Amino acid sequence: MISEPLLEVSNLTLDYNLGNRKMRALDRISFSLDKGQVLGVAGESGCGKSTLGLAILRLLPRVAEIRRGAVFFNGTDLLKLSEKQMEQEIRGQKITMIFQVPQNALNPVFKIETQMTDILRVQDKYQNPGTRKPRGDFRQQAIERLESTGIADPEARISNYPFEFSGGMKQRVMIGMALSSGTSLLLADEATTALDVTIEAQINRLITKLAAEYGTSILYVTHNLGVLAEMADRIMIMYAGRIFEMGQTRFVLGDPRHPYSAALLESLPSRQTRGKRLLAIPGFVPPLDRLPSGCSFHPRCAFAEDICRQEVPPLTEVASGHWSACLLDQKRGRQKWKWS
Amino acid sequence: MEVELIRIRNLKTWFFQGKGLLSKWFGQGLKIVHAVDGVSLTIRKGHTFGLVGESGCGKSTLGNTIFRLVEPLEGEILFQGRDVVKMNQKELRRFRQQAQIIFQDQFGCMNPRMTVGQIIAEPLMMRQREPESQKSIEQEVAELLNSVNLDPDAAIKFPNEFSGGQARRIGVARAIALNPMFIMADEPTSGLDISTAATILNLMQDLQDKLDITYLWVSHNLNQVKYMSDDMGVMYLGKMVEMGRTSEVFNHKAHPYTQALISAVPRVSSEQQEQTIFLEGEIPSPINPPSGCYFRTRCPQVFKRCEEEEPPLLDLGGEHFCACHLHDA
Repeated sequence: MISEPLLEVSNLTLDYNLGNRKMRALDRISFSLDKGQVLGVAGESGCGKSTLGLAILRLLPRVAEIRRGAVFFNGTDLLKLSEKQMEQEIRGQKITMIFQVPQNALNPVFKIETQMTDILRVQDKYQNPGTRKPRGDFRQQAIERLESTGIADPEARISNYPFEFSGGMKQRVMIGMALSSGTSLLLADEATTALDVTIEAQINRLITKLAAEYGTSILYVTHNLGVLAEMADRIMIMYAGRIFEMGQTRFVLGDPRHPYSAALLESLPSRQTRGKRLLAIPGFVPPLDRLPSGCSFHPRCAFAEDICRQEVPPLTEVASGHWSACLLDQKRGRQKWKWS
Repeated sequence: MEVELIRIRNLKTWFFQGKGLLSKWFGQGLKIVHAVDGVSLTIRKGHTFGLVGESGCGKSTLGNTIFRLVEPLEGEILFQGRDVVKMNQKELRRFRQQAQIIFQDQFGCMNPRMTVGQIIAEPLMMRQREPESQKSIEQEVAELLNSVNLDPDAAIKFPNEFSGGQARRIGVARAIALNPMFIMADEPTSGLDISTAATILNLMQDLQDKLDITYLWVSHNLNQVKYMSDDMGVMYLGKMVEMGRTSEVFNHKAHPYTQALISAVPRVSSEQQEQTIFLEGEIPSPINPPSGCYFRTRCPQVFKRCEEEEPPLLDLGGEHFCACHLHDA
């Protein structure tokens, strides 16, 4: 069966204008996400992965300027919608987001009940314009949502304040607010980075389960490649605002075609034994307003040649459904990128 | 022969809540938080001891108690045979020169109004100096910065000018300034990118090889503990539930909690696929721990005896210890 893409980002280019400095945070980003699929986005800090999520929801700060491109969601270009349409139809309705630090996303002075019914009321207001139901009408629905996220005794816990919940439970509340039958796309930005491994496993299982139940697609941003190995159907590796590699999880992680992806995998302690040195990619992610010429990774790349300093590598399909942006791929043939 | 640097015996650190006047007047009961509850362990000199467990299991409290940043209720902490618990202020000061901490919050532990040079020089100026040492403090700071692969120019900059990974290196430079024998690293790579974390791990490994430093590696990242440590201990609710050589613990996980913890670590390589054991619920409150085995409320293999009896730390042979009734046949 060929599934139609739910989200199709094409050629998205975004600048942050800070005084006279212009930083290109996203550079010609194109990808698509099918219904019910999980796309993992990985890369070091400052590579644009969070900006991508915010750009899709159009929650960018004022200094950001979208230069080119389109974000098609169910066939409509989100960048062309009015702010009012975004708010009434998209944000918190069709596309929702969960963040890294749930305690910052919940208001500490309101009960969980108030915050959950708020969301339901707003959703109801836009779905059935003209009616304004009292808060009490949504209490039962809020309890059900809380229950679906696996919180024990939801009827009592819904009257608690956020501080009475642990980090994992707060993230459950966020998921309960974000995921419902109407959600078709969930953006998860480092959703489990702040949690313990056992709780992280619980939360990721919950996200996967609910998403499968509602047929929701997920854009999962993280720097934990292990989490992506278990959750994502496809993976996208980003660096300095560009896509470096994209493809099915087992190919990207099992047979990385870009030296940067290979380096990220080699620097994981899980793959190395005690006493051996880990690979540390030399240098830093360059500041976005002073990107090196040619391939932006060349100053840190162990394999760089003259051509890398001159030409910007295009994202090319190196195998069926597997894309990589490296000029040397052709020349190298099927030899693996071994850093150490 | 292997020398032990630190031996901890039956250490208990409890926190008391509700000792204040209000609770006295209104008759609220005294609550006791059993943060560290009877832990014994040995750290071998020049080796790394990895301490793992979920948040709230007492691993940081245990570390802080070793430095007497919190006072233990009872127990012994022998550092080279001398009991830290019984040290007076002067001895404690000398001990704290030999033992250092690298904190989790790398920016929070540096004064934002001091330059990095001043931050690293501070311990150097505090120490009792040998009169013959002629090196200027500036020179020493430059050498320290060099040894953590930072430019000596960093000395005149302020902490906010550094990235997370660089700030962590400054923390390492300050910790090794006094040539300590022992360093406790509390989540030393939390919040860092994969490749930055790798540089910190490499650096700390190099320093250990060069200076023969002993580490207590507190982390909830099991992959890292497996990579960095020779021995490890798994804590749950203030108690040590499993302890032994790292390779032994990973290859023959004995405690159901360790098994669940290790199985929950997301893995990149597909060949070692292991079924994730999902633990239900969260760590119970250390104020009201369950009866019997503390882990029984979440344990997938719980049986009747677990509720009634607290499992002792059993010797499984080969310096591998585990506190579980399943191994007490």
